[in-house]
Amino acid sequence: MTTILEARDLTKRYRLGETTVDALRGVTLAVAAGEFVALMGPSGSGKSTLLQILGGLDQPTGGEVIFEGHDISRLSDDEATRLRRERTGFVFQAFNLIPLLDVRENVGLPFTIAGVDPSRGDAKRRIAEVISLVELTGKERHRPDQLSAGEQQRVAVARALLTRPAIILADEPTGNLDFTTGGDILHALWRTCDADGQTVVLVTHDAKAAAYADRVLVIEDGRILEEIALGRRVDHAAAPLIARLAAIGL
Amino acid sequence: MRGLGRLAWRTLRARPLRALLTAAGVGLGVAVLLASLATTRGIDAAIDRTVADLVGRAEVRVSAFREGGLTPLAIDVIRGTEGVAVVSPELERRTFLAPPPGASGPSDPVTLLGIEPSTHRRVHDLVLVAGASLSRMDEPSALVTERLAEQDGYVLGGELTLQGAGAPVRVRIVGLIAGGGPFVGSAGRTVIVPLDLARGVVGIDGVTRADVLLEPGAGVAEVLERLSLRLVSEPYVVATPRDLAATLHASTQDVQSTIALIAVIALFVGAFLIFNSLSMTVAERAREVGLLRAAGATRGQVVRFVLSGAIAIGLFGSALGVLAGLGLARAMAAFVGSLRGFPAERLESDPSAILVAFSVGVLVTVAAALEPAVRASRISPVEALRARLDLAPARRARLLWLVYMFALVALVGLLAWPPTAGNVGAGRALAVYAALLAAVLVSPLLLPGLARLVGLPIGVLLRLEERLARGSMARDRSRTALTLGALTVGLAMVVALGWSAQGAKAAASAWLADVIPGDEVVTSIRPLPADEGVAEVLAAVPGVLRVSPIATFNLASHGQRLDGAAVSGADLAADGRLRIVAGDRAAALAALDAGGAAIVPLATADRLGLGLGDRLDVAALDGTTLSLSVVAIAERSIPGQSGESVLVGWADATDRLGVAGADFFAVRFEPEASGSERSELEAAARSLALEPNPLSRVQGAVTAALGRVYGLFDALALVAVLVAALGIVNALAMSVIERIRELGVLRAIGMSRRQASRMVVVEATVIGIVGSVFGAATGLTVGAILLLLGGVAFETAGLPWASLATAAVLGIAVSVVAAWWPARVASRVSIVAALSFE
Repeated sequence: MTTILEARDLTKRYRLGETTVDALRGVTLAVAAGEFVALMGPSGSGKSTLLQILGGLDQPTGGEVIFEGHDISRLSDDEATRLRRERTGFVFQAFNLIPLLDVRENVGLPFTIAGVDPSRGDAKRRIAEVISLVELTGKERHRPDQLSAGEQQRVAVARALLTRPAIILADEPTGNLDFTTGGDILHALWRTCDADGQTVVLVTHDAKAAAYADRVLVIEDGRILEEIALGRRVDHAAAPLIARLAAIGL
Repeated sequence: MRGLGRLAWRTLRARPLRALLTAAGVGLGVAVLLASLATTRGIDAAIDRTVADLVGRAEVRVSAFREGGLTPLAIDVIRGTEGVAVVSPELERRTFLAPPPGASGPSDPVTLLGIEPSTHRRVHDLVLVAGASLSRMDEPSALVTERLAEQDGYVLGGELTLQGAGAPVRVRIVGLIAGGGPFVGSAGRTVIVPLDLARGVVGIDGVTRADVLLEPGAGVAEVLERLSLRLVSEPYVVATPRDLAATLHASTQDVQSTIALIAVIALFVGAFLIFNSLSMTVAERAREVGLLRAAGATRGQVVRFVLSGAIAIGLFGSALGVLAGLGLARAMAAFVGSLRGFPAERLESDPSAILVAFSVGVLVTVAAALEPAVRASRISPVEALRARLDLAPARRARLLWLVYMFALVALVGLLAWPPTAGNVGAGRALAVYAALLAAVLVSPLLLPGLARLVGLPIGVLLRLEERLARGSMARDRSRTALTLGALTVGLAMVVALGWSAQGAKAAASAWLADVIPGDEVVTSIRPLPADEGVAEVLAAVPGVLRVSPIATFNLASHGQRLDGAAVSGADLAADGRLRIVAGDRAAALAALDAGGAAIVPLATADRLGLGLGDRLDVAALDGTTLSLSVVAIAERSIPGQSGESVLVGWADATDRLGVAGADFFAVRFEPEASGSERSELEAAARSLALEPNPLSRVQGAVTAALGRVYGLFDALALVAVLVAALGIVNALAMSVIERIRELGVLRAIGMSRRQASRMVVVEATVIGIVGSVFGAATGLTVGAILLLLGGVAFETAGLPWASLATAAVLGIAVSVVAAWWPARVASRVSIVAALSFE
């Protein structure tokens, strides 16, 4: 499989007043096209920081990020913006929908931002397609406060899929959801990966969520501690992963 | 409470820019209030000083009614009246000096003042910077003001030549009076000579006035009673220093009341800013307040927590305002002092005004903070600590508060209202204030629809930014409404004052054009009798159609002084001047020339209760009464000293009322007259020591003077717009902070910095356009009130297109500029930080 995303010896250092925090201490990883990778670790392990750098939201202090063969670790703001608009899709823990826009408008935001009229032609069709993909057909005119938590998160997933991004980066997408609803979201993400070859990188602290991935990278204290290959599975049982984690003392 | 006080201080420090903006808003309102109080009090003090300078130690001033002045007999009678200690007679006339050697041409006229040196120094003080006072009545000596000496190149010991009725008179300059001297209306160009010499120059025996010092213990009323019984041979006017002050105050009332009104409005707009800002702080700190309450703080402690922050802002802002206000007061004093006709050459600021302005600033800040403080105290701890916060009470301001604040600021305004600004001015101010409040209360209802309409063309180009901007405005309607309200008030004042100025200038121009039967006004500094043939000389100039002599003088009717003007009815009829509102025009003008008739201006007729056919009894020269029939009432009449003139014919004026001759000639040119013919007339006039001025120049001078006064008002109104701009900065900044998370998401999914910035600018632009529309509509309403109360017809004023355009451009420009910093913040949002923002 082709490597779509690669991190080489990434470091990230923050200054917090008098203190210096090393959020990442030399992370190296590679993600293949069409792969579902989970970054797993406890709170403060640096997994969200790593995701933000991989997605071009932030820049590393040291190291490189190679995305589709290009170094994206030192892009200008305009270049990074274009990257986010055209090649990546994000799903965040808090739903991050625009409250005053309805489902269709929230999903169509990437088109609107890019200056494409979301109410016509291919754009309109694509929006309908991704709304259908996340099973929200019929709720296009609903605003976020008229949707359940799970439905709001599905809108966020649909928005991330809209432009057929090279990669979807999801930061704790099920963190605010109950087990069943969270499972629906993860299943939706897995389906895009399995059926459409979408590459997904998921950040989570929850083994049950990580169990949907083909491969789990365990992060602790800013380093990759362990890599656990689970393979593509239709059943997403967490037991094998939990056993492997226990074996390494996590 | 000390701990909460420290927390309140830290809360302020956490948002330094907002605290500074709020303090600046308070400061601007206080600055304008202080400058207004200082200026109005300064005008009052200057008037008192001017009166003191005018009358010196005199307790009574007896002025002549006739052109010929008070006779020597009258002076003797006054001197002989029981209770009178000193009588200082003065003869005052305008004249020209012969140009000094080497001068390029004739200089500006001067005021010639003839005094009796021995009595003058007992009543008046002249401050000399060089030389000595006059000592004898027969010496050919003069005192000149420093200003005149500088302008015309005179020096101590040098000579000047007075021109007058007879041969020129040469005198030696023996003393220089400081500055422009203690004289009003002379533009600082005064020459003082012994009285007998002045009589010779002017060619009369009389004096203009006599300043009277009473015996110790003598009462003014008793002395005047005795004088009225003894001095019956000629008419005269008596005034005390208080009367003179009242006349001067009356002439400045309109200016004082308008300055005071603008100050109150600036304070009102400042209150908007304070309220909005503190409401935002409460909304932002709702969780903190909830924690405090959960930890046991009482409601009262929470109120004091919010108020302590407000007091700190109030104190700081008011202190800033005082400093700025002192500078503004100085600038206003200099400006007002330069206005002709304003007795304010030496305007000084009043320390008590500082205390009033400072106290009002703190009071208004605390009052504006009360509602947000009480609202904060009602936040329930449970509600405040929920993960997803949406505190409707904390976020929505109560527009009802507006009514309370309106009442409070109106009350403060009334208490601080300068008494000399008059009750009419106060009534007008209240009417304007009420109109502004109504507009601010109505605007939130119209805002959503208008914002949508305004956003349509913007949305064509910037769809997302417009959509998000509109949503932001709707997020907190009350805050948007208050922000908009402040802008509306500021712009409304710009439009209203512009319209008022336009109306006043148009009315003044129209007035002159309606009543003066000529294209050119040729003025004489002395009355010119008909037999001197000046009119004939001017009429002989090619291109001249008609020369009409006009004299202005005083009339006494039942103890009241009226302005009078002698005119040729035939000339007015031929020229088509004068709009008659009652009576037959042709018959009335013919009756003037026949004698025994008067045409009364409408304002005077209303004041005296005169109607068509009534009799107007005036004191005649010989002490008898001249009974004039009111043959017509005119809409406007020739301007007099303090109003409009009662028109009489020349026969009555010269035969019965002692008018010596024409003060000016109105010259009408043939329709096809060329510029060279006009120049020929002007040359002819100058050769006769007359001053020619095209009517358009006279109109221009009047409108220019009005323009300067209204320019001051416009500058003050702009302060209100500036305060509104600070409010917009605050509101937009808060809007950005509230949407930080949203901005992070938008940036994460590909919105560029520029788009983020544009979103804020679009919101500001919509506010600016909507504010301009509301401001224009409100301004037209307020302007209509000002015009109606000022008696100016709408058709005379015309619509204020220039002011409307100015308000539109200003509203949008101010809003867009105010958006600069919040837009910058929005564009520089760190995506990572924004996404984790709670």
